[in-house]
Amino acid sequence: MSVFLSSLGFGIISAAVLAIATVGFTMQFAVTNVLNLAYGSVMINSAFVTYFLNIHGHLNAWVALIGGVATGSVASYLLNRFVYTPFQRRNLAPITIVIVALGVDLCGTFGLQAIVGGSYFTYRQSQGREWHFLGMYFSTLQLTIIAIALGVMIAVAWLLRYTRLGKAMRATSANPNLARNSGVRTQSVISTTWLISGALAGLAGTVFAMNTGVFEATSAQLYIVLLLAAMFLGGPGEPYGAMLGAATIGIATELSAAFINPQYKMVIAFVILLGMLTFRPYGLFGSERTA
Amino acid sequence: MSAILFYLATIVVYGAVDAMACLALNVEFGFAGLSNFGFIIFQSVGAYVAAVLSMGPWQKSNGGFQQYVLGWHLPWPLPWVGAAIAGGLLALPFVFLVGKRLRGDFAAVGLLVAAVLLNQLVNNFVPLFNGAAGVSIVPAPFQGIWNPQGLGYQFAYGGVAVVLCVAAYYLLRRVTESPYGRSLRAMRDNDVVADSLGKNIRLQRTSMMVLGGAIAGLSGAILVGFINLWAPGAWGYAETIVLFAAIIVGGAGNHKGAILGAILVPLGFEEVTRFIPPLSNPSLVPALEWVAIGLLIILFLWFRPDGILPERRRILSGAAPGPTRAQPPVPVPLDGSSPGGDPDALINLGNLDTMDFRELLHLAPAPADAPAVIMRTDGLTRAFNGVTVVEDVSIDIQRGRLTGLIGPNGAGKSTTLAMLAGTLAPTGGRIVYEGSDITAVPSNRRATAGIVRTFQLASEFKKLTVLENLVSAIPGQSGDSLTGALRGRRHWGAEDRANIERAEEMLHGFGLSQYADTYAGGLSGGQRRLVEIMRALLAQPRLLLLDEPMAGVHPNLAHKIGDQLTRLVEAGMTIVMVEHELSIMDAFCDPVIVLAEGRVLAEGTMAELRAKEEVVEAYLVG
Repeated sequence: MSVFLSSLGFGIISAAVLAIATVGFTMQFAVTNVLNLAYGSVMINSAFVTYFLNIHGHLNAWVALIGGVATGSVASYLLNRFVYTPFQRRNLAPITIVIVALGVDLCGTFGLQAIVGGSYFTYRQSQGREWHFLGMYFSTLQLTIIAIALGVMIAVAWLLRYTRLGKAMRATSANPNLARNSGVRTQSVISTTWLISGALAGLAGTVFAMNTGVFEATSAQLYIVLLLAAMFLGGPGEPYGAMLGAATIGIATELSAAFINPQYKMVIAFVILLGMLTFRPYGLFGSERTA
Repeated sequence: MSAILFYLATIVVYGAVDAMACLALNVEFGFAGLSNFGFIIFQSVGAYVAAVLSMGPWQKSNGGFQQYVLGWHLPWPLPWVGAAIAGGLLALPFVFLVGKRLRGDFAAVGLLVAAVLLNQLVNNFVPLFNGAAGVSIVPAPFQGIWNPQGLGYQFAYGGVAVVLCVAAYYLLRRVTESPYGRSLRAMRDNDVVADSLGKNIRLQRTSMMVLGGAIAGLSGAILVGFINLWAPGAWGYAETIVLFAAIIVGGAGNHKGAILGAILVPLGFEEVTRFIPPLSNPSLVPALEWVAIGLLIILFLWFRPDGILPERRRILSGAAPGPTRAQPPVPVPLDGSSPGGDPDALINLGNLDTMDFRELLHLAPAPADAPAVIMRTDGLTRAFNGVTVVEDVSIDIQRGRLTGLIGPNGAGKSTTLAMLAGTLAPTGGRIVYEGSDITAVPSNRRATAGIVRTFQLASEFKKLTVLENLVSAIPGQSGDSLTGALRGRRHWGAEDRANIERAEEMLHGFGLSQYADTYAGGLSGGQRRLVEIMRALLAQPRLLLLDEPMAGVHPNLAHKIGDQLTRLVEAGMTIVMVEHELSIMDAFCDPVIVLAEGRVLAEGTMAELRAKEEVVEAYLVG
């Protein structure tokens, strides 16, 4: 029982980080129909910006975080504006954009590695005291991450439900042409979405690195698998689905690590992803968006 | 001196291995349009299988310091054969990812993830292939009788590798330069349309994954026999991206391009970086190599998307290049802009009046005792996300008539047509064709049974010439299967020439002979419409389903098309046509079915319909 509870605790933290990342990832897919496989490289680059501001800039970690978030936001905006959008204007098959995204991912990840080198980096700050709930242990840092994730989820839900921008995003996602013809300025909606989702990527990358404590330039390379699994579980382009998917994948991977074998902890995510692609490619509750 | 020779032999082997891998990936990606992001696992499984088939049982080999399965100690070439078989078989679990239901990029991501998963499993599960350390001291072929370190051996090895690479080149060329290869490229350009013309998409994609996988597996075997070790670090998922970069640089859809790409990218990068002196930061050069691969992909896709050696345009010729092809092909820019004037105004269907549709399309008049109804639907229903678009539609389609399907926007006309053709599965009700229930029959099999549809949106195969578009639709081609293609031109050549002639005759009839060798993607809107109609006709339908065939077509041309449809019906074809234009309905269709809000509102001749108040209210006025 205690193994179950402690791994559930780990699962909740993984899920918190993953939820922040997946919501941003799925929003990008929703408004631009791009599977941005370079997302992981944006995350890790942002994490390094935070790290360097913190260690070498001597800024408080939570102030430095703003730098990381801004990096993710601006980088994602530029990526969409100057790479994906021009390619999409050429009416290429979605697969071409995905191949471009893989190219961008290589540039982002290994460009970073060329700068910072191949060694590991460590956050030396304290994780804070330990808290004990219901048989689960959390450090102050972890509780902060969970709180940030909950805050982000509430903010995204509020954005989508109650603001003009959120409605415009949903309209653009459902049918861009119809949205444009109904007076939605889709281009600026898309830009704003990439700014917001990029900020989430930056935030997710930073808390990912803080949570692991030890990281390097290629640490987020396989994170894309968890992102994809969480996104497809909830239905591609569905922010609420992404939250649910992230919670499921985060907890499932940690539980399987505890009860099956820690070396195979990603396997459950792979299996879920391949299963979803095979049987329900539009999510557990979704169906294909067809006019 | 001999150091240089050894180095040369090594380069030859690596080059042949990379070229084989690129050829195999290119046939999947460049020809069949299948983005196999997990390609590297096919090469890898070949390397592992060749290794464990050639090594002895692990307990007895080299003190048992490594664990692995099999260990059969087979003599060459059996391990290599086993590797090719393993590479082919590995494709089979992925059959479920490559049907037409799943978006191409989703399938690609699925394959990528499968590659990462397999790498992790092999890495962690030691008894399979010795885990992260990998298998090592893999025996080289004939190493007991011939010293693998000798220069003669190394050059012989390189020679065998090159011979196998050349063999793969000719094998793949035989497949792609055939009617089957045409179907593959058609599927690449538009899988939904290829499916509607009777191509089995899942089978075609699976076949190419098996074939590509077998060649990749063999390439892995050649590599492992030479370097004598294989470990998970050698086949990370990113290695596939390198091969994609090679094909994009060399030229997708061109075998020579694949070979060129293999030499420039994987081989070139590997070898050039060998000569960079070691730096203080050991990860700098490999990191910059990856950055360069990424940049290469992005820059080539932007500035030279067709690669250094672009796909070749195929000029087909029939048995006797007769007067129909007298005019040279008119080059038309691919962006669709016309070289001067409205090309649609120049289209003349005059040649069609003398064409014998019965002979050209193998049409037979319906026997006198054939039932009057060719197709019947019973409570046909379709809902999207809980919104019912078509509800309880029960209609009879009369044999040998041109039935019109009209209704206001959003009435469910196109959805109904898509369900009749099998493009879309109904959520309720059934469809009966020629007495048998076909509700669950997939669209490609409906096409072979004679139900062929056209599409509302442009649906030409862009990078097939007009003539290729037409020929690709002809059913029952003996070269249009993997086995047929492998039997070679002698098997299908004569028949193909006859098919090309039929297509040329059709093209002549529609007055478009001069565009025979133009890429269909470069035609004007009206011309593309005609190509689509011609292509559907050459699929030899008994029931032709046309989705707004006159949309965007000059009114004069529309009426000319209508006249020809009438002649087709007289020749024994049954046609259902969705159309907006009431004058077309007036002139050509009888009976006409009116749909509104997903339901059948009325049915009858146009004159009868005009007399019905509810129809006038729903459609004719509003």
